[in-house]
Amino acid sequence: MSEIRQPAEVKYAAELSALAARDSGPKPPGWRLSPKAVEHYLIGGEPVDGVPILAKYVGDRSLVQVMIATLASDRALMLVGEPGTAKSWLSEHLSAAISGTSALVVQGTAGTSEEQLKYSWNYALLLAEGPSQRALVPSPILRAMREGKFARLEEITRTSSEVQDALISVLSEKQIVIPELSEIVSAERGFSLIATANTRDRGVNEMSAALKRRFNFVTVPVVQDLEQELKIVTQREKELRSDYQVGLEAPAELSRLLVTLFQELRSGTTKDGKTKLRSTSAVLSTAEAISVLFSSGILAQSFGNNGVTPEDLTRALVGAIAKEGPEDLKVVREYCETVAKARPGPWKALYDASKKHLAD
Amino acid sequence: MLRRAFDQTPPALILVEGPSDATPLIEVLVDPETRPPVAILGYRTDGTPGSSAWPFASYSPEYQALLWAKEHGVPARFIDLTVGQSLARPKAPDDPEVEAPTESPGAIAAQARGLRSFDELWEAYYEAPAHDEASFNAAIMAYAASLREGPELPLSLARDAVMAQAIEAAIDEGHTPEAIAVVAGAAHVVAFLSGTVDFARLREVPSALPSAVTLIPYSFPRLSEQLGYGAGNRAPLLYQKAHDADTNFERAGLEVLLELTDHLRLSGFQASLADTIEAHRLSRMLAQIRGKAAPGLDELREAATATLGRGDPQVVERGLVQATIGKNVGQVAARIGKSSLQEEFWREVQARRLPATDAPERFSLRLGNTLEIESSSFLHRLRLAEVPYAHFLGREGRRGKNEDESPGGYAALARAKETWEAQWTPATDIGLVERVVLGDTLEQVAERCLEVRLAEGGDTGALAELLLDAVVAACPRSAARALSACGVAAANDDDLPSLAKATRALSGLLSFGSTRAQSSLGEAAIGPLLQTLYTRAVLRAPAAARVDEQGAPPIKAALRILHELALAQSELDQDLWLDTGAQIADDWSVNPTCAGLVTGLLYVAQRYDEAAIAERVALRLSLGSEPERAAGFLEGFLEVNALVLVKSKPVVKALDQFLTQLEVGLFKDQLPLLRRAFSQLGKSERRYLLENVLAARRLGDQAPAAKAILVEKDRATLAAVNTELAQALDDLDDLL
Ligand SMILES: Nc1ncnc2c1ncn2[C@@H]1O[C@H](COP(=O)(O)OP(=O)(O)O)[C@@H](O)[C@H]1O
Ligand SMILES: [Mg+2]
Repeated sequence: MSEIRQPAEVKYAAELSALAARDSGPKPPGWRLSPKAVEHYLIGGEPVDGVPILAKYVGDRSLVQVMIATLASDRALMLVGEPGTAKSWLSEHLSAAISGTSALVVQGTAGTSEEQLKYSWNYALLLAEGPSQRALVPSPILRAMREGKFARLEEITRTSSEVQDALISVLSEKQIVIPELSEIVSAERGFSLIATANTRDRGVNEMSAALKRRFNFVTVPVVQDLEQELKIVTQREKELRSDYQVGLEAPAELSRLLVTLFQELRSGTTKDGKTKLRSTSAVLSTAEAISVLFSSGILAQSFGNNGVTPEDLTRALVGAIAKEGPEDLKVVREYCETVAKARPGPWKALYDASKKHLAD
Repeated sequence: MLRRAFDQTPPALILVEGPSDATPLIEVLVDPETRPPVAILGYRTDGTPGSSAWPFASYSPEYQALLWAKEHGVPARFIDLTVGQSLARPKAPDDPEVEAPTESPGAIAAQARGLRSFDELWEAYYEAPAHDEASFNAAIMAYAASLREGPELPLSLARDAVMAQAIEAAIDEGHTPEAIAVVAGAAHVVAFLSGTVDFARLREVPSALPSAVTLIPYSFPRLSEQLGYGAGNRAPLLYQKAHDADTNFERAGLEVLLELTDHLRLSGFQASLADTIEAHRLSRMLAQIRGKAAPGLDELREAATATLGRGDPQVVERGLVQATIGKNVGQVAARIGKSSLQEEFWREVQARRLPATDAPERFSLRLGNTLEIESSSFLHRLRLAEVPYAHFLGREGRRGKNEDESPGGYAALARAKETWEAQWTPATDIGLVERVVLGDTLEQVAERCLEVRLAEGGDTGALAELLLDAVVAACPRSAARALSACGVAAANDDDLPSLAKATRALSGLLSFGSTRAQSSLGEAAIGPLLQTLYTRAVLRAPAAARVDEQGAPPIKAALRILHELALAQSELDQDLWLDTGAQIADDWSVNPTCAGLVTGLLYVAQRYDEAAIAERVALRLSLGSEPERAAGFLEGFLEVNALVLVKSKPVVKALDQFLTQLEVGLFKDQLPLLRRAFSQLGKSERRYLLENVLAARRLGDQAPAAKAILVEKDRATLAAVNTELAQALDDLDDLL
């Protein structure tokens, strides 16, 4: 399915070019759009030349403004937050809107090497013709520097401290030295870096002070408001369905039920504040809610149902929650017993379905 | 800005929005000895407390106008409703002026411009830009006109008329209209200029209440709370800095960020100047993106969070509050006469070195010397008079604090040391001025307040608390009266909580009261009353304990009090309680939680030996009794001293049996109740309980292995070690 998933700059090309055509604001060097237009693109708003501008990020406008203002400066941008709060999503859309590409990505892992940060070699060519431009395999960061674009570094906190140290010099000197070619690549204007970091990884505190000083930090919050999260979940799930051309649309009351359940388990109390709940070790993120709703639509379709039923939803929920082990299922079962059972309408149906699919 | 306009076209008379009967105070307002923030305080003099404050910062246009007038020898007056008229306006809850700020026309105007609040709008459009006169006037008029589009406030229209009348009066006196400057809220000015003032509205002005007016010091923290009054005061220190820098907000913002950096360093955060500079840049960039001329409070907060705070707003919040609000307290020139209570307050505060800034400060009083006892009485008098200044935090010589206790009464009775937290706020002076009608000294005021409470009456408990209040506030006459009222009430009181409370109060007075001068009360009067109350309370206890679940908490509290008093107060007949307690513990008609509590108390007091307690707990938890009642008993029982209880082998054995005997369905039904009972256990108590359960199941030989596992909480390993052991844990798993 991955080829269906288009990068933001392709998928939203029409929006981006309409915004660019109408953009009269001053642009920082190397930017395709002015800060105002980038904000418009991310938050959504008035159509431009008849092209509707959809909201990419649903949330606090001022946070997005801080991100944009940071990227227009010398400092790189660090997006920190719980998993599934749209950090990568924001990083992708900011790069697409400002640099015209979101493809210059390095995925951070424990095994990420300094080479992946800077450059490596095509060894066949290297052996055949010695160090040459042809044999050089530039990293996404090196390419971003040459082209004056944004590079993205996902999950920075998972990389080793050696890699993080190497990043300090890249960010402070804004250049990469290639001694084998006696070349120094200096960043073109417009280069910057967007890193994401997961607060569950607990690595943010361990980053060196020197590295932290190269970044401005924006904490991307978990959505607290029910209506707002509901809007995100239904809107994104609808997009997924149309991207992949599968699945059925769930009735509104079911998506509301799902988001309510997620928010209540996340916060550890029911909305009325009366019942304390145990919480799961799996992260019940907005992204996870989107994926559960999407899967339930696919299940409904493959079972040939007329629409998405509480059963489909329960099955999808079990699939998502069982990942971290049986403890979490117990938590959901308890939730159904103590909370869902007593509530009317689809809750009752959820309770019944849970008896079937959540039995031990 | 205003001054520049005056310099260019000097007025011959300046009229300012403000209570017209405060005009004589203008001299004092602009006295060099007066340092804003200060406020005009109007207060009622008819015996009802009531007041209203009109604060001024040195950057307020009104204040600047008055100052200019003084410097140039130009007369100035206030032209709004008198204090008495303002105080007479009905303060109905639906008064549009106290409406939620989000719905105000100002807030709507802000949202229309993509801003979050009226304050942000004010800052962005009127405060920050380096306007020339013409553009400023245009901006402010546009804003004012938009306010006029909202619902019209009747009194506001009447005030238009009052002020317009004052302007006409000035013209009648011979001032040419061009030479009169009016400094008033923009909405009023729009009305004056557009000629829409409706003089018929003068009839709607309420008739004045008897009142007087004075000046009091004000403070930046209070100014920042004055939302809705005047404009944009949420960051007074920032505006002050901008004012001092000739309305250069960028410069003021940088100062704030530098102060914040220092603050962070002092509190142990790494804060580099590079971050500060980046914050400054970022704040300006944000202002630019938002179409503001200079960064305001929001831009500073967001920029500081992203840089110095590393994404965490909490990190920078305190420092920002310090740097944008501060704790400055103003000063009023000495020549304004203070009221007798203000005199007394400030004299005492200075002589006793008590806190005098608008920031909370903690201190302790040692009640070993007369001086500090007097300080304590002073603070308690203020507390009784409800003058907001000091909070009583606690005393020494007692284990914990009971939640049900109010700050007064028994809780205030200290033997050795008491702790306070005090903070001067304008409300302190306002409170003092308002209380003048109740007396000339704090003692008189405190006595008046006590008399009022005495006249309201109440049960024995309430009267005894009142007695203690009178004692700690050193009001001997009220104390004597409260004591006799207490005796009268006791004779007819059957309410256990009230009697227990009164018993405790008098017992406290007997043991701790010696630190206070008590001669006028006489211990001879206290002792016998204490005996009467105690006996009455204990005899009432068994009947009172036959109460339903809802009524149980106050009864439990009372039973605990009686138990503690019986054990601690040598004057009391201990056995009377212990025998009655045993009777309650074995009575199946009393509330099970109460029975559990008393059983636990008697066990901890070693009234029961191991065999006796095992028998009682087993009986209460046996299958014969309803599970609900059993769980209730457990709850009360574990409330006492869980650690002692879960360490007792027989108790644990009975508990374990109870839990394993419950059949699954019943167990699930009881889950919430049981959870509640066990929720009182702390971490180490739970561990003990588990360990002892293991021991009770004679899995003791495996205890070391189990213990290691319990600590690690690794259930899989545990299951591998022994299925029986795993079963034992699983039974308790849901609970613990
Ligand atoms: N506030 C939000 N606005 C729009 N989409 C959101 C929001 N929060 C979550 N999402 C959606 O959830 C998913 C978040 O996934 P991702 O960006 O990978 O999260 P993260 O990188 O923070 O772990 C995206 O598909 C995104 O569209
Ligand atoms: Mg991510």
